[in-house]
Amino acid sequence: MVKIFLDGGPVEVVEGTTVFKAAQRAGIAIPHFCYHPAFVPEGSCRLCLVEIEGSPKLELSCSMVVREGMKVSTQSPAVREARRAVLEFILAEHPLDCPICDKAGECKLQDYYQDYGLTESVFREFKEKREKKVRIGDQLILDRERCVLCTRCVRFLAEITKTHELGLFERGIHSEIGGYENEPVRNGYSGNLVDLCPVGAITDTEFRFKTRSWFLTKGESICPLCSRGCNIFIDYHPGFPRVAGSAKVYRIRPRTNEAVNGPWICDHGRYGYVDLQRKNRCEKLIWNKGPGSTTELSWDKALIVIGEKIKALRENGKTGRISLILTTWLTNEELFLIKKIFKDGLGVRNVSFADPAPGTEDGFLLRADRTPNRRGAREMGFEVKPVDLDVLARDSDILFIFGSSLAGGSNDGAWKAALEKVSVKILVTAHLNELASAADFVLPASSVAEKSGTLTNADGRIQRIAAIARACGDIRPEVQILLDLAREIHLDDAYFGALTGPEEVHRELAKDIPFFGARP
Amino acid sequence: MNREFTADLKKRIEEITARYPSRQAALLPVLHLVQSETGFLSAEEERAVASILGLPPIKVREVVTFYTMFTRKPLGRFHLQVCSNLSCSLADGERILRHLQAKLGIGAGETTPDGKYTLTEVECLGACEQAPCMMVNFDYHGNLDPEKVDRILEELK
Repeated sequence: MVKIFLDGGPVEVVEGTTVFKAAQRAGIAIPHFCYHPAFVPEGSCRLCLVEIEGSPKLELSCSMVVREGMKVSTQSPAVREARRAVLEFILAEHPLDCPICDKAGECKLQDYYQDYGLTESVFREFKEKREKKVRIGDQLILDRERCVLCTRCVRFLAEITKTHELGLFERGIHSEIGGYENEPVRNGYSGNLVDLCPVGAITDTEFRFKTRSWFLTKGESICPLCSRGCNIFIDYHPGFPRVAGSAKVYRIRPRTNEAVNGPWICDHGRYGYVDLQRKNRCEKLIWNKGPGSTTELSWDKALIVIGEKIKALRENGKTGRISLILTTWLTNEELFLIKKIFKDGLGVRNVSFADPAPGTEDGFLLRADRTPNRRGAREMGFEVKPVDLDVLARDSDILFIFGSSLAGGSNDGAWKAALEKVSVKILVTAHLNELASAADFVLPASSVAEKSGTLTNADGRIQRIAAIARACGDIRPEVQILLDLAREIHLDDAYFGALTGPEEVHRELAKDIPFFGARP
Repeated sequence: MNREFTADLKKRIEEITARYPSRQAALLPVLHLVQSETGFLSAEEERAVASILGLPPIKVREVVTFYTMFTRKPLGRFHLQVCSNLSCSLADGERILRHLQAKLGIGAGETTPDGKYTLTEVECLGACEQAPCMMVNFDYHGNLDPEKVDRILEELK
């Protein structure tokens, strides 16, 4: 251990630590653009300068390694003056188009200028005109006037993805970020450049000009688009609907978890997640009474109608003719309730899974299994096997389908014929596709951003998702739908009556199955 | 798209890289060699050098655009580099540049249509004692005035 003094206070850190990291550990924030914990220190932005006693000039804290007894000042007049000067030089070429910049409100340059700048510029020259919308990737726009040349983007592509799409060309005032012969950044992780950019130089076409950062609230959750279970922030409008038709979730960003995803997420999750929340949502409870006869239904009435059908089978001792098609999109709590109600309570045996087809693993974060909870379903005791349409058509009177992945698979068309042989089909889904017209009841369920629970990633890590966006229309979380159904058919009133939400369900799950006992 | 260098050029590149602890370290001398052979460094040459040295092409582009002695377009037979830095400016180097522009009918950074002259405004050539100065290809010419420039151009026939 090495002991140093930061702004007078002693701090002990391991040998080889940089002054920047030592300060971070001591809770002292040092302004920086180019430094990023995932990269080798670059030392190009000159903003992290600190004063070290005995050193003739200011030193870069990002690359200066601690020495025993080192006395560091991060707030001395010389340091503040150096930061002020660096910011003045940057602003001499910065467009100050903050009113139309997506980064405004979460921009490091704005924050640091507030802290250290606030000077009248002595520059009287005109600013250089540069290109303001260079398309550098499928979702990426580069604004060369806003760029502060920290090269975080260049180093991400060199050190993390190793795809080298961007470089720093020319020198001096002509320096600019660009691609080789205009080849786009296309590597499955391009969206991270937007998060990495400390200013508004790289913006996301999916987010550009859609909202202001200060209207957004961030919630912590888990990306459900593959079995990695990357930790994410969901940025959403709490005040929805502020404007009719406006989106609820605006973007997702990585939430650092070194054990799962580090500080990154892939584009499949980033752009897929927002679509998941916005596109083809099922919002109305529908009863397809017969060809051309569709009515909207209240939840109370729907539960009575469906409950009566289950009770009729139960009176004849034929609950074995209830079939389930599940999905590994369901949370641990939902799967547990399904197990308790249908498998244990009603003796349902015909259980299968319909999931989106696996993709290819990319060797970094994205896994081949594009669903979030296959491991959870397995640990729960479900055999995750595909749907056997012949058995389904032969052995089912009532069919519950969770999720809409049955349609659109390779068995296109075949599922329609099979479903026609089943007299009552109940679809519980967050998204509409042609499956909805084949079902008798369509129950609108929460999307992953609208419900609470836990998901088990491929490594067995149980992680929490939180209800963040507000559901609209008739949408209800599956846990509530399942509990209401259990109460409707008076399955085990004492047991299910005591359960009110995902937290209680998880407690029961943890009691029942030791695997889930380890709290997330 | 990838350019194949001649066997002789490849051999000379290997001779250079052998002198460095890593192949990448030989980038600058190799670029100088290739430019002296091909006249300028287009994307083809960048890609070829990158593949020989085991670098991504963009790293080569970064270096080529950073150093002003590398050129990415063909130069005229005579490359006139006129200094515009402090000493030469004080000695009215601007006048030399203006004179050449008027005489050749081209601006700085341009090449005459016959491909004979390329005129470039450059930073300090390290010859302040003979300001104002310019370079013609690799030869220095100092203490210039318009008449001396005319004589130099005459000799370039």
